[in-house]
Amino acid sequence: MHELSMAQGIVNSVIETAEANDATEVNEVVIEIGKLVLINPEQLSFMIGVLSENTIVEKAKFEINEIPVEIKCPECNFHGNAETDDLDHYAPMVECPKCENKRISILNGKDCIVKNIVIEKSDD
Amino acid sequence: MHKVADIEVQHNIMAANKKLADKNLKKLEDKGIFSIDMVGAIGSGKTTLIEKIVDEDDFKAGVLAGDVISKFDADRIKNHDVPVVGVNTGRECHLDAHLVDHSIEDLPLEDINLLIIENVGNLICPVDFDLGSHLRIVVVSVTEGDDTVEKHPFIFQTSDIIIINKIDIADAVGADADKMVADAKKINPDAKIIKTSFKEEIGFDEVMNEIKNFQKNI
Repeated sequence: MHELSMAQGIVNSVIETAEANDATEVNEVVIEIGKLVLINPEQLSFMIGVLSENTIVEKAKFEINEIPVEIKCPECNFHGNAETDDLDHYAPMVECPKCENKRISILNGKDCIVKNIVIEKSDD
Repeated sequence: MHKVADIEVQHNIMAANKKLADKNLKKLEDKGIFSIDMVGAIGSGKTTLIEKIVDEDDFKAGVLAGDVISKFDADRIKNHDVPVVGVNTGRECHLDAHLVDHSIEDLPLEDINLLIIENVGNLICPVDFDLGSHLRIVVVSVTEGDDTVEKHPFIFQTSDIIIINKIDIADAVGADADKMVADAKKINPDAKIIKTSFKEEIGFDEVMNEIKNFQKNI
């Protein structure tokens, strides 16, 4: 159930930024979730909905974008995205798709980032 | 009439935990404490392994015993005369760096040189949360099924020592411990993989030696 703590972190971050910018309402929130973060986007959306109730985020539309796992292989110098393996895993296995080396550097795909928000402000 | 503004936030939710984990590690290192994050499913043998480690004379250990709502594990370890702080996560499925930050304050940090953090029994959620440890040990028992390692690659990929436990009853539960070793090797070629039965005194010395090796090399 760690979608709940992740959702709480996201909602807190949105509210803080919105309030710091004198928002009266938040219209949109864009979130990026790396494919290596073990989070189910549907459950996350549900939790965000629950936690946003009675806040200025309540009516916001959340856009959740999945970020592929970007790796660099020190063996064959492959630089690109990891692929889903053939072991029936939904998330990418972290290995070099070219030479199958598992000792690779993960450059992207482990983060959960609140990218930007669209807010409404009063005229004064 | 309202104005609409697009605000760049760029707030990394994972980074907040990582930053706190780094702070925890620094605090422990300043006091000369080596720390272990012990992960594994419910009933894999984490608490039994911790009981055995704290009984050895090699370290002066302190333990954070993470659990969802109970304090059974903390009470078990307390019987070994070491300082223990029970950490209840409430409804959460893992410890995070924030909980560890608060809980280590309740341990006598001046009197210990080893901190063992027993994570909540779970092979999935702890993956995403660094706590501030030098070493992650995952304990998996043959009773969980010999496909457990390949089904949960991420926790095995992020662990330094992989323990395949309860090998004495592998036949009785129809599990192939060597398959689990092979799967672990494939997923994480750098990890130390040890087959154990803490009940039958198999493999524990090797676990202790590896912990000491890791401590020497930090």
